[in-house]
Amino acid sequence: MTSVTNGISPSSPGEGDPQWARTIIGVLKTYNIRFLNLVPDAIGERLLRVARGDPAFEILPLTREEEGVGVVCGQAVGGARGVLLMPTSGLGNSLNALASLAIPYRIPLPMIIGFRGDLGEFNAAQVPMGQATTAVLAALNIPAFTLTREDEVERVTDGALKLAYANEGPVALLVSTQLAGWKNEK
Amino acid sequence: MIDHLEATRYLVNRLTDELVVASLGNAKYALFQSGDRALNFYLWNSMGMACSMGLGMAMARPERRVIILDGDGALLMNLGSLATEAMRNPPNLIHIVWDNRQYQLTGGQPTSTAYRTDLARVAEGAGIANVVRVESLSAYQRAIDKAFSQPGPWFIHALVEAATTHVRPPKSPTFIKHRFMTELGVSH
Ligand SMILES: Cc1ncc(C[n+]2csc(CCOP(=O)(O)OP(=O)(O)O)c2C)c(N)n1
Repeated sequence: MTSVTNGISPSSPGEGDPQWARTIIGVLKTYNIRFLNLVPDAIGERLLRVARGDPAFEILPLTREEEGVGVVCGQAVGGARGVLLMPTSGLGNSLNALASLAIPYRIPLPMIIGFRGDLGEFNAAQVPMGQATTAVLAALNIPAFTLTREDEVERVTDGALKLAYANEGPVALLVSTQLAGWKNEK
Repeated sequence: MIDHLEATRYLVNRLTDELVVASLGNAKYALFQSGDRALNFYLWNSMGMACSMGLGMAMARPERRVIILDGDGALLMNLGSLATEAMRNPPNLIHIVWDNRQYQLTGGQPTSTAYRTDLARVAEGAGIANVVRVESLSAYQRAIDKAFSQPGPWFIHALVEAATTHVRPPKSPTFIKHRFMTELGVSH
């Protein structure tokens, strides 16, 4: 089983891992977060590179982000902590589960969202969901925090997780392209 | 054809400390009518999420058996979850689908299982280790007995008669959650 969930490594940890990714993973550990549930995106992959091989984490790849809302909620009521890693498109795929499960049942659900469809985007088909992200989160009353500078990553991540567990609800951490960079493609 | 309530009662009579998550629709009504308990997690909406939630529970509590009670319509909304379930391969998971071949709650419109879709074959194709399709109560009972005595994951596809009930489980989502977590002795 481990060979399937953790063994397929498109890339492995190394010197090239950005500091922000190492910082986020470090803060997740201080909150005893064990499960990283995800549909891949380029930004989330930077976090996974750091987490792979660290026995503190178990990685669960999903077929669709909405599944991840259900999975994190099941982990939470079972007494274990998980997060959902996904791109902004994945937030679109998750909405009804957030609105009907995590929010009304009051389940802590940290979401780390790679911000596609914003500064530096080459793909027009990413832009509408990206630009709607903040408004969609606000419409559901989900607190959202954008990481833009290296020196704020630790404090904001820590504060967002603290809020999620205190308030028992979803919280979004948006990893911006100012922080993570964007694709070279034109 | 299997009587849904009778089949649910057979399961509930066997339960001790299992975690049970029941889908919106008749799955949760029949579970409540067969026996309310703190470790029943009732979904009031979130169509398709029972199976994903059950997988999460099974990951969090590998020492406990977790039972998912699903509907055909709800599972069809989240078929990808079967692939995730198969990949993770949790030995403590039993996934039961009550297939009445319709969206009973919204007026009995036929689901695709009323035509050509066979959910047991979908589950097999997804890679779930133990898949059983049952059409009689006795075959269903044998499948349950086996699933309770041998490691899973199990997928039990039960063809049931369409029926409903007017008995309703607790409606407060936070009550359902707190009662469940208190019984399990865990917190966030
Ligand atoms: C996302 C979503 N779409 C549609 C509905 C409406 N709805 C509520 S129950 C239901 C039928 C569920 O069918 P099934 O899972 O087969 O259970 P049954 O009603 O047959 O017991 C539907 C379509 C909903 N609640 N959520």
